[in-house]
Amino acid sequence: MLDFLYSTGWGAFALMLFFHIPFLIVFPYIVYRKCYVNTGPSNTDPRKLSRLEALWLIIAVGLFIAANVYSINYLPMVKTSATEASGAVIQDVDVTARSWSYEISNRQFEVGKPVRFSVKSVDTMHGFTVYHPNGKILFNMMLIPGLEKASSLVYTFTEPGKYKVRCLEYCGIAHHAMQDELTVVKSGS
Amino acid sequence: MLAATIRRTPFLGRMFDVDESTGLSDINTWPAMMIMTSFVWLIVAILLGVLMPVIQLAELDTNLFYSAITLHGAALAFPFLFQFMMGISLHRSGGCMGKSASGPLTTLIYICMNGGAVLLTLAVIGGLKITYTVMYPLPLVGAQMGQWSMGMVVLGFTGIALVLTSMIFLYPIQILRMSFFGKQREDLLLSARTLNDPGMLGMVMSVMILLVTGTPLMIVAGAVLLGLYGLVPLEAITWATEPVVFQYVFYIFAHNLMEAMAIMVISAVYATLPLYLADGTRKLYSNKLANLALWILLVTSVTSFFHHFYTTNPGLPSALAYHGNFMSWATGVGAALSLFTILATIWKHGIKPEPGLMAILAGFVLYIMDGVNAMVAGNIVVSYQVHGTLWVGGHAMMVLIAMCLMWMGVLYHHYPVITGKKLDTNLGNRFVKYYFIGAFGLTYSFAAGGAMGMPRRFADWSAGPDSWMMVGIAILIFGIFLTVGFVTYMQNFLKSRAI
Ligand code: HEM
Ligand SMILES: [Cu+2]
Repeated sequence: MLDFLYSTGWGAFALMLFFHIPFLIVFPYIVYRKCYVNTGPSNTDPRKLSRLEALWLIIAVGLFIAANVYSINYLPMVKTSATEASGAVIQDVDVTARSWSYEISNRQFEVGKPVRFSVKSVDTMHGFTVYHPNGKILFNMMLIPGLEKASSLVYTFTEPGKYKVRCLEYCGIAHHAMQDELTVVKSGS
Repeated sequence: MLAATIRRTPFLGRMFDVDESTGLSDINTWPAMMIMTSFVWLIVAILLGVLMPVIQLAELDTNLFYSAITLHGAALAFPFLFQFMMGISLHRSGGCMGKSASGPLTTLIYICMNGGAVLLTLAVIGGLKITYTVMYPLPLVGAQMGQWSMGMVVLGFTGIALVLTSMIFLYPIQILRMSFFGKQREDLLLSARTLNDPGMLGMVMSVMILLVTGTPLMIVAGAVLLGLYGLVPLEAITWATEPVVFQYVFYIFAHNLMEAMAIMVISAVYATLPLYLADGTRKLYSNKLANLALWILLVTSVTSFFHHFYTTNPGLPSALAYHGNFMSWATGVGAALSLFTILATIWKHGIKPEPGLMAILAGFVLYIMDGVNAMVAGNIVVSYQVHGTLWVGGHAMMVLIAMCLMWMGVLYHHYPVITGKKLDTNLGNRFVKYYFIGAFGLTYSFAAGGAMGMPRRFADWSAGPDSWMMVGIAILIFGIFLTVGFVTYMQNFLKSRAI
């Protein structure tokens, strides 16, 4: 469940709906009622309203905190340092982006072996986004030229296949053609 | 003379013909002129919006797509929506403070905004395709690579600098001048408000944000511009031409521009809602809570801009990423308070379902929906999934569309004062309906595209799975609904009758 929410685009969509749906029920309901059903003022006890106010704030803030706290283990920085701490061998890959291609020091990886992608751009802003063969985004990086530290994270592929790379920062008239491909093979093969 | 210019303008002139019999010309004429001009930009740019999915479906030239997106985004954000908002706000400030909204400064605001936008448009027609976020250093790199000429970069940057001058300096100074200086004129005072009033507080806060967060950008952009003109050697301004420097000052401003516009419109909503209460009390549930919401929005928005840079980590240190994540969601607390204030006000006093108010409330619904969308993307983990996809492109567009609907509702309220004409209720309701259906559908279409990994500003949707093109079709259909909504709104102005 958490995997779905925090590591897929549709998970983000679901998270958004989780907040949208109650709002889209309550707000129009109250507006409709006060427009057409019972337009007069309601003599709700003011004390009740301020209690409701406090309750609403607590619920909203509570949900906001929960949505973020549950995401902590999925943070790329957290996952990266966890992999580093585990003592696993990390394969280093350097990527240089320029309009409109990538120079990638290694395009073939093994399932289960962590890879550190360090990506730089040498001309204008570019992106480095890796897609799973099923079309979903695995991760996304933005590259600002001149930034001293390369954009970087550690990722461990779990399935063999062809992984598409796309640039997701608009970089000029051939931006849509800026792509590449990585190959992931079964371990030991 | 200005009123005559408006009257003589073909088609749009009839909609905004100012009522000169009331002696309120000083707060009506320039606002009417700005609103009318903003509609010219709207008409051009919305057609470009509809054109974008058409280009993709018909697989037309990719260059055309990038030109369309650049003009569409730039025209709708600045000379349309910002100018529309300036027009209404100048009228509101004038009427609430009893100060003239015209004069040389207002004239200059108008000239810089529209003159700048015209120059940028010419540059785009001349080949400059940099989107409304400039993507610096793309303009220079593109010129070096021969994607467009250096002349067009200079022209485009000059246009952008004029537009920014209008938004960052001239307009804020005018609002501050009207709020704090000069003598009040009884004859212009329509409904007196003080700064304790949430309906006025937001107006002042938002222009302070524009001034404070915009000035660094003006300094950097100004230096780059002087370099482009050849007035200072490029080696002398390397501090400004660094891409990282430009990107940071840009987003410090761009993010806060959106927040400032949101604060201004929420404030206008606070001012307008009480006028439509069924029991005639004309009071919000709580002014204190309303002001608190504005203060929270102000404080949290300023540093939440870091969320634009999460995916450059460790280029953006993790600590700043966490800070941006926290502030992005804390903005939601301000929105939650606004939401409560509005619902409690409606609950306590009942409302009159008139089209102006309905537009405001429908716009508020869209604004909250988009706010959730943005907040979710403001989570670092989610950002690594959706950054650079249609999700965020959709957010940029939907926040504008939502604020636009609220402003349209507010204008609906002020229109009779400005023109002396009355609007039709049926047409008003119809406009809200079409607009809302369009905007609601667009919100989910863009978010779904993002969830599928569909890149934003990407001229080749056919390169992805078929589902990308389905999203494109949905954008086209809902875009047409939205366009019909705008057309109906204008039709109502055209058909308005003297009171
Ligand atoms: C007729 C309705 C509209 C349609 C069909 C439409 C369509 C589009 C499309 C296809 C994009 C490009 C998405 C991408 O590839 O990133 C876009 C971007 C955008 N739209 Fe619209 N749009 C419409 C109305 C509006 C309105 C009313 C506004 C503002 C008031 C607006 C503001 C924007 C902005 C700011 C962008 C971002 C531009 C960029 O990322 O460079 N649009 N729109
Ligand atoms: Cu690129």
